[in-house]
Amino acid sequence: MTPDPIPLRAPSMLECRNCGAGVPLDDHFCGQCDRILALGRHGDYFSFLGFPRRLSLDAQTLERRFRELSRKFHPDYFYNSSPTERLASLERSSYLNDAYRTLRNPAARIEHLLAIEGLPPAKSDEGGVKVPPALLEEVFELNEELDQIRESREEGGDRETLRRRLDAAREPIDRKRVEHERQIAGLMERWDAQSEAQSPERKATLEALRERLFERKYIDNLIATIEREAAEVRPDTAPIQPTGKARAEDRS
Amino acid sequence: MSKVVGIDLGTTNSLVAYVRDGVPVVIRDDSGDALVPSVVSVDAAGTVFVGREAQRRLLTAPSSTVYSVKRFMGRGIDDVREDASLLPFTVSGEAGGVVRIGIAGRQFTPPEISAFVLRELRRRAEDHLREQGEFDFDVDRAVITVPAYFNDAQRTATRDAGRLAGLEVLRIVNEPTAASLAYGLDKRDRGTIAVYDLGGGTFDISILKVEDGVFQVLATNGDTHLGGDDIDDLLISQVIADVGLGVAADAAEVVQTIRKAVIQAKLDLSEADETEIRVSSMSGLQSGYRRHLTRVEFEALIRPLLERTLDPCRQALSDAGLEPKDIDEVVLVGGSTRVPLVRRLVEDLFQRKPHSDLNPDEVVALGAAVQADILVSGRREMLLLDVTPLSLGIETMGGVMSKIILRNSTIPASGREMFTTFVENQTAVDVHVLQGERELVTDCRSLARFRLRGIPPMPAGMPRIEVRFQIDANGILSVSARELRTSIEQTIEVKPSYGLTDQEVERMLIESFEHAEADMEARLLIEARNEAESVIQATEKVLRRPDFEQLAAEAFEAGERERIDRTLADAREAIASDDRDRIHATTEALNQATRHLAEIAMNRSVREALAGKNVKDV
Repeated sequence: MTPDPIPLRAPSMLECRNCGAGVPLDDHFCGQCDRILALGRHGDYFSFLGFPRRLSLDAQTLERRFRELSRKFHPDYFYNSSPTERLASLERSSYLNDAYRTLRNPAARIEHLLAIEGLPPAKSDEGGVKVPPALLEEVFELNEELDQIRESREEGGDRETLRRRLDAAREPIDRKRVEHERQIAGLMERWDAQSEAQSPERKATLEALRERLFERKYIDNLIATIEREAAEVRPDTAPIQPTGKARAEDRS
Repeated sequence: MSKVVGIDLGTTNSLVAYVRDGVPVVIRDDSGDALVPSVVSVDAAGTVFVGREAQRRLLTAPSSTVYSVKRFMGRGIDDVREDASLLPFTVSGEAGGVVRIGIAGRQFTPPEISAFVLRELRRRAEDHLREQGEFDFDVDRAVITVPAYFNDAQRTATRDAGRLAGLEVLRIVNEPTAASLAYGLDKRDRGTIAVYDLGGGTFDISILKVEDGVFQVLATNGDTHLGGDDIDDLLISQVIADVGLGVAADAAEVVQTIRKAVIQAKLDLSEADETEIRVSSMSGLQSGYRRHLTRVEFEALIRPLLERTLDPCRQALSDAGLEPKDIDEVVLVGGSTRVPLVRRLVEDLFQRKPHSDLNPDEVVALGAAVQADILVSGRREMLLLDVTPLSLGIETMGGVMSKIILRNSTIPASGREMFTTFVENQTAVDVHVLQGERELVTDCRSLARFRLRGIPPMPAGMPRIEVRFQIDANGILSVSARELRTSIEQTIEVKPSYGLTDQEVERMLIESFEHAEADMEARLLIEARNEAESVIQATEKVLRRPDFEQLAAEAFEAGERERIDRTLADAREAIASDDRDRIHATTEALNQATRHLAEIAMNRSVREALAGKNVKDV
């Protein structure tokens, strides 16, 4: 749900539909007549919330800003206003909610940054079969092992043995994920420093981030496959409840 | 300025509240009762009864009396067939369309039935405000609550019911959220709250974070088909199994009598450790029925049902990214939370004693009144940020649901999806909107189908049609579309899958005005009869006085006695008819004829009283 990138020659001013005054793009209310402004073509969640395009974002600060703006935009407060203002309030509230939901989640935040910096998310080829090159070896081994485990399970193999084999197969993938987390955290820091300094290497950092994100999604899918098989191997136990964190990331 | 009210339109009971001098209060009837049973009954003459009166008719005229209609709101016949089998009224409808309820030879949609309840609440509110000496006692705007887990069709049906009742529905608010607002009045500090709401027909769990007066729902879950009604049904089935009664339509009166008895037993067991289900002998159940029931037996019977509330609780916690220990307070809402086992289960899950300081039946209406007040007064100290309970998406190739707005997104929320054409010069595209969490279209709820028209003719795949889905603060969806290359706005005709079209609502509104006239006529007739009755009775009372003959002999003019006899007979005859004008005329004539009699009777009484006094004084 990341909106289109801002067009290259985005207008830098909005026009207040009430009094016609020109207003800076990131303002929410008209400086002249105080009315809520219709949401212009707007693509940047960071600037909408009044934040710089940085990837480290304090959760408390984000929440506070979200509540503060909710209190300004919410349709509850525009019941007696003109239809134009009511629509503006609905659109600004929706946009605020989308912005908050996106920036709250680190992965979604990076994807949004990539989009507004002109790098659409790396997508696998049609059909989604392309394996990230950095993972080829692990994926090959894992698939082979999973096939064998599946076969053995269907033939009634010893569940305890299978469970141990699954755990062993999962271990390199889990290690890879931890490694990736570390890399992404490093790249995020690098971006923040570079963006402050307007460094020309910023683009390379974003591309690296995009690649890591794509790989991480792939890793998450692998882990999900392993967990599905694990649930088959242990049919007596209830499926594991997804943790809140994993859930939240699904939603990005 | 007319008044705004908050309405809790419940499965079993409904109530109305408003904010008076900054404090929310529920509106009660003369006997102090706030609950209006959500029961509607129509007699052969077309007179509509609502509330207690209709509830009494459950026993005498079950097949023309509707209850628990909330279970049918925004649903199709396939959803409710199972429910309908236990109900005494007939439920029909085309496959994939709105349910129709047949009573007294008329067909009603669920919103129409609900509108009768809403009109009654509105009348109650207006009467109350008039008695309070309010200058402007018109009530034409309301906030109405719905279960948090209601889907778009169910919310829309509720809004339609409001419109049919002549109310502008300012906002549809989720019941648990409304309850938290009522609770939040005195404690505005920060914390995480779980609201467990088990009502007559629905179950909701909502997890909220409160900070700086902002009530932000983090996650919600529930079951729109789980509540006190189901507990009653379990007990009824038990009784029916005991007495070996077939559940046939002709047993409707017996089933309703049993229902009343088991509800009493259920209520008893919230206080006592044991009780007795008692059904007295009646036609269809000659021997009557008695059964001893302990709380232990009762709990064993209902435990599986109540345990179905726990998974939604866990899911909501997980969606909010929280553990039970992160919850600071647990609030109980809904009459069914009076059942001790519910309290124990909730306490076990959250490891904390649940709050129930406010009356669980009234807290939702109080919260709705607070929200109504926020909307019209512009008060800003509190703000409610709710979420959409179910993901919204569209059907894509292969019958797969593609999600556009995910569940537990704060509302208002919006989403966009791009469409294009498959054939040269194609000018229309069909879109199927769904709600639900499952992968396959067939496992999701169909909300609406619409056709994008007016696409400019272009080669296949060229048009870029952006469809915008907007969920407003009521949790209700609207759709708009635009072809981006030409900026041509598309016309969209939304055909709701389980709802009424705007035209249908309009038509019903007109019909309800016509019926409102009939209903008003019926009410006026009842009032005329009551007035005639009281004049007749007063006359008869005088006629029965031991000193009447003496009075007549002393004071009557010639022909006066005959005139009284004649007008009295006329009035008696008139009240047996449905002719309101005639009743009025004969009542008036009787009044005239007895005026002199009343005077002399009163004079005599006064004289006697004075005389008595004199005697006493001496």
